[in-house]
Amino acid sequence: MIELIHVTKRFGDAVAVDDISLSVGKGELCVLVGTSGCGKSTTLRMINRLIEHSDGEIHLDGQPVREFREEVLRRRIGYAIQSTGLFPHWTVERNIGLVPRLLKWPANRVRERVEELMALLELSMTEFADKYPSQLSGGQAQRVGVARALAADPEILLMDEPFGALDPITRESLQDELARLQARLHKTIVFVTHDMDEALRLADRLVVMNQGRIVQQGHPIELLRAPADAFVESLLGGEDRGLKEAALLPVSERMSPLGPGPLAEERIARDATLREALSVMLWRHVEHLAVVDDDEVPIGELSLRRLVGARDHDA
Amino acid sequence: MRRDAVQPNIVLASLFLATLVAWLGLDAVSVAPNRIVPGQGVDVLGVAGWGGMAVSISPLLVALGLAWRPTPDRLRWSTGLVVLMLSALPVWLMVAAAFTVDPDMPQARMGIGGGVWMALFLLLLALIELRTRLTMPRARGWALLLVPLASLAACLSFGLEPLALRQEYQGRSEAFVSAIAEHLLLVGVAVCLSLLLGVGLAMAMRHWPRAQRVGFAILNFLQTIPSLALFGLLLAPLAWLSSRFDWLAAFGVSGIGWAPALLALIGYSLLPMVRNTYVALDEVDLDVIEAARGMGMSRGQVFRQVRLPLALPLILEGIRITTVQAIGLTAVAALIGAGGLGTFIFQGLGQAAMDMVLLGALPILAMALVADALLGALTDLLRPGGAT
Repeated sequence: MIELIHVTKRFGDAVAVDDISLSVGKGELCVLVGTSGCGKSTTLRMINRLIEHSDGEIHLDGQPVREFREEVLRRRIGYAIQSTGLFPHWTVERNIGLVPRLLKWPANRVRERVEELMALLELSMTEFADKYPSQLSGGQAQRVGVARALAADPEILLMDEPFGALDPITRESLQDELARLQARLHKTIVFVTHDMDEALRLADRLVVMNQGRIVQQGHPIELLRAPADAFVESLLGGEDRGLKEAALLPVSERMSPLGPGPLAEERIARDATLREALSVMLWRHVEHLAVVDDDEVPIGELSLRRLVGARDHDA
Repeated sequence: MRRDAVQPNIVLASLFLATLVAWLGLDAVSVAPNRIVPGQGVDVLGVAGWGGMAVSISPLLVALGLAWRPTPDRLRWSTGLVVLMLSALPVWLMVAAAFTVDPDMPQARMGIGGGVWMALFLLLLALIELRTRLTMPRARGWALLLVPLASLAACLSFGLEPLALRQEYQGRSEAFVSAIAEHLLLVGVAVCLSLLLGVGLAMAMRHWPRAQRVGFAILNFLQTIPSLALFGLLLAPLAWLSSRFDWLAAFGVSGIGWAPALLALIGYSLLPMVRNTYVALDEVDLDVIEAARGMGMSRGQVFRQVRLPLALPLILEGIRITTVQAIGLTAVAALIGAGGLGTFIFQGLGQAAMDMVLLGALPILAMALVADALLGALTDLLRPGGAT
């Protein structure tokens, strides 16, 4: 668990981070989002002391980070950055095994751990172990970056725009992968991005920052429904907000039980998002969809009226 | 049918053509009755007659033909021919010595003519071109040169007594060996010391940015002083120091000799060394350093395991430049009695004996080429994964 209490960072006269308080619970994925220069990256890097905070306190499991030796602290915290920061003169295997080696794990245990992580991130050991970073695609390099951050099985993971330099398709697939990993590993993650779609997609807790301050924080749905001010609203996409919210809600949330009438022809999966359901309706020119479970068995219906959240007086 | 799929290799063709022109147009050798009299040029016809000339140019004509449609196979044949021709050059000199030098005149000597020098130079260029075309590994290119070198060694041990270079060498074989040793020692010590000093200075400059501008200004200034002037400038203070401190004098320090030469060499070596080291250490990707720190590496670990290895190819580049430069500069140091191969160059110039100049200059050239090649190969070796 990470706690920031009235933390301030000044560079000379400039205040980069202004008196912020934030608490990230165990197993929570907290996304810091904001325009560039808003202090989100600085905040992240104060947690592993790549930047020392000027005022306030940062606690890790109740202990001030200043009480740790820098290196010891950082070896406990996984760290992944945008350009991957992989060492170009080391093979993939050596890169991933870095922190375990710093922690003086025996060689065979490091090797086992690297194999485990490469399997977890779907990197073939035989194909990639001996490659150098320059021989990898952007997506592969970023997987290696994430594997390296996870290597010593840290409780806490700091990710600084890790997917920022990737093309949209690779980025989405890596976002899915991170969500999948997080569902399995339950790390405490602080994730920095300026991409609101990415933030909404991944966050358990969304923290919007502007000019060094936290403007609003909460669950993505809460922010979408009640943005604190015009800045948050514009960051959340203004008129696009409806679609962004729909992308966060599953079909099962709005479906109605199977009625007596004939079943609609077009189908949608129970765990698809409302946004996908709306897209199917627009594309097929229909107002009703049959909701099916994983085995394609119909379990309910979704009407356009229910999808948009109108009260069902007549149903 | 695509008959013109293989274009003629213009580079090879013109190199071979130029070799042919030089071979036929310039003197093959020059012959002099003794050391003082300037030599008399003899061309290919004069050496071996029409028949000999025809034999001597036949491989060249074949190579020229092969360059017209350079398939990989033909390029391999051309490589063989070039190596053959290079190996035949010493044999050719033996033939020339037999036909042109009067065995009854023990003072008579034969110099190598422009035709042979040009052929040597152009054929080496052709070999480089062939190596590139055939994407031959660097090591194999060098291995190919062993054949002509072996041929040269064999010819020197079995004959070629009238060769002027050899006669110059024969008279001073001991001086020659010790000159090479002195030369290598001066260069080696200067490069090692300037490497230590240079890395130290570069790291100090990184630590104190203010020292950086002053440091580079001084080193740049040092570089602009002509070498002879620098020797002159060092003469007085060193002479004074050695007269004041007996232990310095006992150590062999004086106004002339190895001490000013070494100091000057180090002075000139520092700029390329410091500049390359500084830039190399400074230009390591900041994200990589940041990641290394973020992973929990200590300062020392970041430097030893990340910054230094990534900087190493560029630092080696600095060592390479410095070494090649020092090999050349050491020749000048002979003027102030520091010894080395420059001794022969300046003695030869004084006596108007060009062959003696060559005796000093050729090994310097060879040393520079070998140092360049070895350090270049080492740099390639240390650049892993195709990373730059």
